[in-house]
Order: sequence, then structure tokens, then C-alpha cells
Amino acid sequence: MGDDSILAARDVRKAFGGIQAVDDCTLSVSKESVTGLIGPNGAGKSTLFNIIAGLYRPDGGEIWFNGTRIDGLPPYEIVRLGLTKTWQIPHELRNLTVLENLVLAAKGNAGEHLLNLFFRPYRVRRDESRWRARAREVLALTQLEGLANEHAKDLSGGQKKLLELARALMSDPPLVLLDEPVAGVNPTLAGTLMDLIERLRRGGTTFFLIEHDMNVVMNRCDRVIVMHQGRKIAEGPPAIVKADPVVIESYLGG
Amino acid sequence: MAIDTGLLTNIGFYVSISIIFAILALGFNIQWGYTGLFNAGIAGFFLIGAYVTAIAITLPAPPIVIAGIPVYPGHLGGFQLPFVAGALLAMLASGATAALVALPTLRLRADYLAIATLAFAEIVRIFAINLESVTGGTIGIILIPRPVEFRPPDPFLNTTAIVGIGALILFALLFVLQFIAESPWGRVLRAIREDEEATMALGKNAFRYKLQAFALGGALMGLAGSLFAVTLVYVEPSVSFAPAVTFSVWVMVIVGGSGNNRGAILGAFLIYGMEFLSVQLKDFAPAALKDTIFYIRLMIIGVLLILLILFRPSGILPEKKRVLR
Repeated sequence: MGDDSILAARDVRKAFGGIQAVDDCTLSVSKESVTGLIGPNGAGKSTLFNIIAGLYRPDGGEIWFNGTRIDGLPPYEIVRLGLTKTWQIPHELRNLTVLENLVLAAKGNAGEHLLNLFFRPYRVRRDESRWRARAREVLALTQLEGLANEHAKDLSGGQKKLLELARALMSDPPLVLLDEPVAGVNPTLAGTLMDLIERLRRGGTTFFLIEHDMNVVMNRCDRVIVMHQGRKIAEGPPAIVKADPVVIESYLGG
Repeated sequence: MAIDTGLLTNIGFYVSISIIFAILALGFNIQWGYTGLFNAGIAGFFLIGAYVTAIAITLPAPPIVIAGIPVYPGHLGGFQLPFVAGALLAMLASGATAALVALPTLRLRADYLAIATLAFAEIVRIFAINLESVTGGTIGIILIPRPVEFRPPDPFLNTTAIVGIGALILFALLFVLQFIAESPWGRVLRAIREDEEATMALGKNAFRYKLQAFALGGALMGLAGSLFAVTLVYVEPSVSFAPAVTFSVWVMVIVGGSGNNRGAILGAFLIYGMEFLSVQLKDFAPAALKDTIFYIRLMIIGVLLILLILFRPSGILPEKKRVLR
């Protein structure tokens, strides 16, 4: 684990019943990289993401984010530290509008505290309009402007994926975990999306993403980590990982 | 006199009880309509509010024994506080109790809250029946002073005064609730209703919001109980706070429009209106229907509810889409 890592997992374990989903997994993600996480179904990728985001409590091991130990923290505190995550299956807030979905991803919005509504009305109004403006920006970035006031449930599958990404970007977090960001998104849009990710990376954001689309992984990731049966089995630049016989055997196929 | 005050008093009574149900419905709407928390013990929080107010504002009531036979066990109280203090204490007591009941169950799956509150309401009622020295037992607490009392006693003026006070409270509540429920705070509640896990992943401490919403709803139910105590001028534990009260409020919110404060109020006036009419019509009904009209009402409500769920599942006044500028 070098000094340039923004996220590090050490010996992380998690079992569900008799299944060891994550098994002594150790890995790290470098700052300002786009790091891919690949592996066969059931390798423990999504489970690891959920542990990092605080949605599952690991059975053992440590997770460090930007010098802070985060395993055991509740998910809302991890988000506040600047680590956001999207869901593999979109978790859009169905009966809220797209814009509401985005504004909810705001950090430190004064109006979300009951007492502030009465005692700090000025700050409440200022924060709210500031976050609405930010939401409009992110909507433009993700090409969702036209849908701002539609119910999130009325979006198509691909649009819901975009909404996931948009929410994750709202508070301009240093690290974003993306769980299959382009699955179900049409190729043109997927390309635009990955261009956006590349642009944001140059702006200083780190991306850690699970993806099965090998085109995306090979062309868009700086580094690739391969998981199999709950462990990291390989790591390196895409071209090298692609040629690794262990990886070929367990995941890519001959 | 030219005006039939008897009829007007009747209508006034209908309005005053509807207002009380409307406040219960507003409380449940915050919990269920906005936050998705299912409260199956509305009657319990309602009871606590009614008894706390009764105890706070009545004269001292020692036990009554006539010829060696205990006639009335007496009740705690005799504090003779003004109604406003009684109402605030009721809100505080019901709100705090709601938080306590919710505390161990809110972190669990939603159904546990429903089970816990259902049991809670019955426990509270059984306490009210049996804790005689505090509550007056099955007789309850009588001679509760009205906030405004006309002398000589005039049912029409007294009812009018209660309707006025109730309407004032209801409008103020609607105004405040509309403000906080449609604020960023209320938006977080709706987000939790839609998907609690996702809301936490957006950086919200869902537990804290659920606790606040549940306590606020409970406090409103306490306020409704307080108003109920001074409207009937007595409280008794057997009928007024039975589980049927809880079920009525569910129907009111579902019929009126879950997640819409005006809908909750409309539902209360409609559903209680049907109950009131069925009682009033009893005297005019043909002999064959006299004994059954009450049950016909229940059937009508049942059919109405089924039709509504089939054809207008989000209620008469559905939740509005919030279009942000």
C-alpha cells in the first residue's frame, strides 16, 4: 500500500451463512485513478463495495479511506467523509423527481435539520438554492436536464443508471465507487459516460468501478484488480492482467 | 327562537370530532404518508393525550364511598392547569412515549414497529382501565372543564366555542406541517419512505429522521386526545380508545390521500361524516333498518375502500409531484 492510495482494504472478510463472500481480501486504490474491479459472478465484488460503503459490517479486517479507518462507521458518515457509491441495481427514490433525487445527495443542507427551518431560515434558503443550482449542473453533465421534474420511477433503465451516477457526483466527492455503471446503457451513452469519468478523474476524482464490459475495463481503466472467490488474485495495468494465465483461467476464459 | 340550535349543535359536534380525527390523521400522515412508518397504536397515543390533559386540568377528585360501597376510585390530578398547559403536556407525553416505543423497533424491519405499537396501545388501554387511582378505572375522568364555558350551560354556544378552538388549532397545524413537511427535512422523510438504504447511502442518518417523524406524529395524536377530552368533557377507556379508532384513522389517510396533509383532513371529515350520519339516520330509518344501519355503514366503508384501492390507489387528493425551480 503506497502513499498514493486513497482507499485500502486489509484482510477484509464477510460470510453470508456458509458462503464466504469476501475472504481475506487486501487491495488498494490509487489517488486520481480509474481502477477497475473485475471477476466472475459471485466473486464478492459487490459485497466488497457494500462493505466499503458501510452498508455491510465486515466480519474482520480494516478499511482505510484517506487516512481514516472507516470500517464499522455507518453509511451516512462514510458518505460525509467523501466516499459515494452507486448501486448495481438502481436505487432511485421512485416517487421523488429526478431533481429531488439529486438535491437529496447534497452534503450539509441546512434545511434538512428540523430546527434550522425555524431558527435559520436564511441559511436554509441559501443552501437549498445553492444545491438546486448544483443539481442543475450535474444534470447537464449527465444529460438528464430534460427529465429534471419527472418522477424517478418513470425513467428508463439506462437513465436510472445515469441518475445513480449523477447523485454520486453531487457533492463532488474525492472517491466514487461505481457498481456496473454502463450495464444496460446504450453504447453511445456509455462512451459519453466514460468520457465524463475520464474528465472528472483529470479534475482529481478517483473512480473504483465494477464492470463486466471488457472494452470499458481494458480501454478506460488505469489499473485492474481481479477478484475470485472473495480474494484478489491479480492486479496491474489492463494489458498485463489480460495476459495473466490465472485471470484467463478463472474469468476471461481461454 | 328562529334557529334550530339543536341541529346546529349536532353539526357542531360532528365538526369538532372530525377536527380531532383530522389531527390524528395529520399525525399518522407524517409517520406513514411521509416517512413510511406504520403505526398500529394510534389509539394509545390518543389516549395518553386525553388522560394527561384530563389529569392536568380537572379539580381534585378523591374516591367516593357511599354507605361503605366504593362508587368512584378517584383519579390523579386536581392540578387545575389552563387548557393550553394541558394540551402542551399531552403533546409532550404522547411525543415522548412515541419516541420510547419507537426507539427499540425503528432499527428493525418495518413490521416490528407495527407489532410493537399495536401491543403498546392495548397495554396503555388496559392500564387506563385498571390503574384506578390514577385514571378513575372504567368510569374514567369526568367533569373536565371546557376551555371556554358558557353560563348558564348552553350546549350550542359551548359546542361552537370548541369548534372555534379546534378549527384554530387545525389551521395552525396545517400551516406549520405544510411548512416543515414540504421542506428539505420533509424531503428526507419521503426519501426514507421510498428507500431507506439508498437514503443512508446519500448521507442521511435515517434513524434520526424516523425517530423525529414518529415522535412528531405521536405528539399530534396527543394534541388530538387533549382536544377530545375537553370536547366530550369526560374520558373513559373502553370505547373511545379501542383499536377501531386506529383503523378509522388508517382509512381516513388512505381514502384522503397518503402523503397529502389536506387529503388527510378531507379523509377525516368524510369517514367520520359517514359514521355520524349512520348514527343520526338511525332515528329516521325504517324499522327494518334501525338496528342494521350502523353495520351498513361499515359495509359501505369497506366497499368504498376496495373501490378506491382499485381505481384511485393514491387517494382522493393524491400526493403532489414537487416541481422544483
